[in-house]
Amino acid sequence: MSELPPIPRPEQLPLPQPPGQRRIVLPPHRERARRPWSVRAREWIRRNLFPSPGGTTLTILSAGFLGILVAGVIWFVFFDANWNVITANRWLLFAGSFPRDEAWRLWTSIAVVMFLIGLAYGTWSSLGRRDSLFIVLTGAFVIFLMAHGGAAIWSSIWFLVAIGLLYVGYYLTIWMPRETSMRRVWQQRVVGGLLAVSLPLVLIILMANGGATTRQFDGFVLNLILAPVGIVGGLVIAIPLALGRASTMRTIKWTCTAYIEIVRGAPLLGWLFVALFILTDVIGDNLIINTMVVLAVFTGAYMAEYIRGGLQALPSGQYEAAQAVGLTKMQSMQLIILPQALRISIPPIVGQAIAIWKDTTLVTIILTLRELKGNADSAIAQSEFIPDRIEAYVFVAVVFWVVAFMMSRVSQRLERAQGIGER
Amino acid sequence: MSAQAPASPPSPGGPTGSSTEVPLFYRRGFRNVLQQAIYVAATAIVAWYVYTSLDLREFGFGFLSDPAGFAVGSQWLIDVDGVTNSRLTMYLVGVWASIRAVLVAILLSTIVGVVVGVARLSSNFLVSKMAMLFVEIFRNTPLLVQVVLWYAILLVGAPIIQNVVNVGDFFFLSNRGIAIPWPVPSGGLWGVPDWFVGVWVIALIVAGLFAMRVRAARQERERETGQTHYSNRWAFSIFAGAALISFLLLGVVVSIDRPIIDGTQYAEGMVVKPEFAALVLGLTAYTGAFIAEIVRASIQALPRGQTEAANSIGLSGYQRLSLIILPQALRQMIPSVTNQYLNVNKNSSLAYAVLYDDLFRVATVVQNKAGHALEMFFIIIVTYMLISFAISAVMNVLNARVTSHRL
Amino acid sequence: MRFPTLKGRRLTSALLFAGAALVAGAVIGACTSDEEDQQAQAQDQQQQQMVQQQEQPQAAQPQQQQQQQQDQPAQVTGEARENTVQLVKDRGTLLCGVKQTQPLFGFREPDGSVVGFDVDFCKAIAAAMEVDLELIDASDASTRFELLANGNIDVLIRTTTITASRDRELAVDFAQTTFYTGQGFAVHAGSGIGSTADMGGATICVQSGTTTEQNLADHFTDLGLSYTPLGGSDQETQDAFLAGRCDVWTADQSNLASRIGVLDNASDFVILGELISKEPLAPGVRDYDSEWKDVVNWVVHGLIAAEEMGITQANVAAMASNPPNTAIARLLGVSFEGGEVSTLGFDSVGAQFIQRAIAEVGNYGEIYANNVGDAVPRACSLNALASEDKSNCPVGTGGILYALPYR
Repeated sequence: MSELPPIPRPEQLPLPQPPGQRRIVLPPHRERARRPWSVRAREWIRRNLFPSPGGTTLTILSAGFLGILVAGVIWFVFFDANWNVITANRWLLFAGSFPRDEAWRLWTSIAVVMFLIGLAYGTWSSLGRRDSLFIVLTGAFVIFLMAHGGAAIWSSIWFLVAIGLLYVGYYLTIWMPRETSMRRVWQQRVVGGLLAVSLPLVLIILMANGGATTRQFDGFVLNLILAPVGIVGGLVIAIPLALGRASTMRTIKWTCTAYIEIVRGAPLLGWLFVALFILTDVIGDNLIINTMVVLAVFTGAYMAEYIRGGLQALPSGQYEAAQAVGLTKMQSMQLIILPQALRISIPPIVGQAIAIWKDTTLVTIILTLRELKGNADSAIAQSEFIPDRIEAYVFVAVVFWVVAFMMSRVSQRLERAQGIGER
Repeated sequence: MSAQAPASPPSPGGPTGSSTEVPLFYRRGFRNVLQQAIYVAATAIVAWYVYTSLDLREFGFGFLSDPAGFAVGSQWLIDVDGVTNSRLTMYLVGVWASIRAVLVAILLSTIVGVVVGVARLSSNFLVSKMAMLFVEIFRNTPLLVQVVLWYAILLVGAPIIQNVVNVGDFFFLSNRGIAIPWPVPSGGLWGVPDWFVGVWVIALIVAGLFAMRVRAARQERERETGQTHYSNRWAFSIFAGAALISFLLLGVVVSIDRPIIDGTQYAEGMVVKPEFAALVLGLTAYTGAFIAEIVRASIQALPRGQTEAANSIGLSGYQRLSLIILPQALRQMIPSVTNQYLNVNKNSSLAYAVLYDDLFRVATVVQNKAGHALEMFFIIIVTYMLISFAISAVMNVLNARVTSHRL
Repeated sequence: MRFPTLKGRRLTSALLFAGAALVAGAVIGACTSDEEDQQAQAQDQQQQQMVQQQEQPQAAQPQQQQQQQQDQPAQVTGEARENTVQLVKDRGTLLCGVKQTQPLFGFREPDGSVVGFDVDFCKAIAAAMEVDLELIDASDASTRFELLANGNIDVLIRTTTITASRDRELAVDFAQTTFYTGQGFAVHAGSGIGSTADMGGATICVQSGTTTEQNLADHFTDLGLSYTPLGGSDQETQDAFLAGRCDVWTADQSNLASRIGVLDNASDFVILGELISKEPLAPGVRDYDSEWKDVVNWVVHGLIAAEEMGITQANVAAMASNPPNTAIARLLGVSFEGGEVSTLGFDSVGAQFIQRAIAEVGNYGEIYANNVGDAVPRACSLNALASEDKSNCPVGTGGILYALPYR
């Protein structure tokens, strides 16, 4: 069996500097840090890889396993796989039947969103070296994909501009003062407001004035549209639902509870079945709109549970204190309870957002909306690519992984920045 | 103050208590009723709108008893065909297929989750990084893609049946699945009918219950006296002895069937088909990654002192983990793990993508043949809820046992 | 009165809440009309570009009527429920449900466009109606009829077999057959399977939710043989068969031929000559809308007639300006030597609708040659013209295709 993390040894803790002495004894960890690089490396290896005979065996076994795995992956990626199925079909996978003349709308939207992401990062967080590496690698991957086979120079330039805008937005905001001040509050409000309108803004860019129709949202673009709509719509539904479930009024409590439990009782695939077979009678025949509604309704039920968890986690003193200073229920909810409850429930909410992002692949199965996975199926229906299904699915998995991984990184960062989990 | 108050006619007010001065409109009880009345009315309007827009002309469940008109391949312990059996029977076959997959996936994902979660906290650099890699890869890719990818890999990666991998005629591997030996009822020494195996199973259950009681009693005595009473050894001996004796007395009613290959088909033995394997692999890796994170968080939430105390009384790493850390972490993780089990149940509907005839696939085929989407959806929801309910019930019992356990 | 204004706000909050609920309900309710208003506006723009005469109020009105008609409980038997011709013209777009995963019949090119035999008929109908074409994915067999019934698509051209039960039980009506085929079987070369009689115990890949599934069940019951079905989408079943997961793959013979014909290793597979069913593939339209069905029907007949008369995409313009005989003039909707132009009652789409269809995609023979000609030879097949010279054909073969008289 494997080992648990070592208990921090006393010498790892910083020692108080003895008064009156100047730079004679450094704390042990600093002392060790001054030893030559090779000694430190040897020590690290000994401690982390070969601590004991058992540990050594484990290391050798796992190294062997890892070696086989890596060799297999390299063999597949560089020698076995036929990536033409991806490069030949990149437009099909990306946007499918989105009108090609209107492609500038897509690029503009991406640039706008990137800029906003940069602003948000600069306001609430900071880009570490790893994040930048991740962005550069992803960007290089995308541009490689677009440049492969040529004729996509303009798209590549657009994409470069988009990445550049991310950094422009980031550096616009990162140098602003971080300490609490009216200026900072306004900065947060402005960026938050921009983020709030970004989704409608993107939809306007895509659709206004002779742009695409909803039915032309296709491929990866469809995933990129469905998931945010589901997430935002879900949050909008979730907050009243969570409050309703925590309400003292029975009718409200019961209906909200019933809603949450029924929606959570069946799989999303089942609810998409509803979008196709039942919601068309209620809402209309535009499947994409119906899907958005279903995604929001579905996500809302889950998020409501997380927010309710946050509400319950608040000490009752918060409610009482709010009452004591004479706030109405509405005011105490707005000013005291909800902000704290939402803050506590950020990690599971982001977790649900990631889940919905991944679940947008399901719309292909029942609704036959052609999102990325569905278009990958279309690509491998082309006669020359019939044997290349593994390549196509691996590509789809990687694309979804990149976005989901970024979201989970942001979630961890928020968690750490706000001190959640350390209370 | 009247400047802001709504211009409502001051009501005379009731005769009792302080409310004599309060206008009806401002009374808590009245407010409550009013708010709820408005809410109910609004909800009712929405519900009525939805109800009227639905097409309920042919609502009814009679269509379920018609002949199915299709066959399902994922059968086990049952034998149905599409021409004589009803749609309802077919659906139940699908339900049984779903339950099988869910149970196996829950079991495997728990094992994977605990192992990976513990490995994630290993002091061994390589092991912990590999565990992290596992978690990050499988948690952040869509389960649907994972499942279809597993299926594609199994179909292409495993040899075709003509080149089957044969391990001593006991174990076959091809892209038709894995065939392994499996116990089947047999006439035994006295040529009894097949259902006699049921008698043995009942004997096993009785023996098991009795062994549990003995174990509990000996544990109790151990706690009271402080002496070792070997409760586990006793329980096991009783169970094994009773099982063996009853088996022999009934006349060896179970025999082991070795798989054979008949033409291009597996015959006898137990066959794990690639569709089932792909679904279970996907569910296991995906859920395992989530459970691993839960296990890690639960262990990390334990106070450091637990580890240190275990170290200081000289427990080995394995003892520390199995006796001190995991039992305590278990209490913390049961609610979250239960949630994951419920997700396994719901995610099993992705069988739709890998040709495994689970309840969802069968339901859509029935719907395609007979219409009645509303009824079929109702049935699907109720089925998933029932399975979820069963899982939660079992986990609640487990939770109660674990949390009530004395320290 | 001591009740502060703060309490008064509770009422406003309650009212706000109720109001929000009402608004939510209203929004849900209005979604349909909003959506359609937007659509109507977008269509108006398109229409203004295309058809100058159309005016906005006219465009909006039928839309509302349409809505009202949908709200009324539809009659199981009886008069027209809706007028799809008008709906399509108002919308300015034909929504055509096609497959996107079947080589030759409906599949996607790398640039995102959908092409194939079925798609050409969509194009023909759209051209005949003088509207834009939007191709909606109807790849999933289990949900295709629902798309049609719900109005997600106007016409379903997706290798769909006409059967009595579909015609009667589902909300679908069929136009003229575009492709005649039957259910066939593909096996691996060298498997020794020569007919269905050899398939006892075999694993058979079959597309679920199709007529082939039921035919298979019926046929094997008649033969008294057992089999293990492996059901999924046609693409999934294809992959399973190619990988050797199943011994036999059954589907429409044209489907088998088109999918196997494009493979590099096509010689590894054998398509048996045996057909166990008739599978006439036809466009589906909604029930109780005979005007729309007539249009679809006569576009297909018109394309077949064009082939009989020798009208091609290349010469249709010349033929229209100088028709060689009255039949051709009537088909193309032009006057013969200064005579009257007869619309034959097709006033809503114009006399020249068949001419536009031919100009768009060519006659039936051209559509066939452009899409499936290489993989599925037409000569002597059921899809050849009945007037074809059968002297070179094997006994019992030859075309049955002929256009009904257009006059």
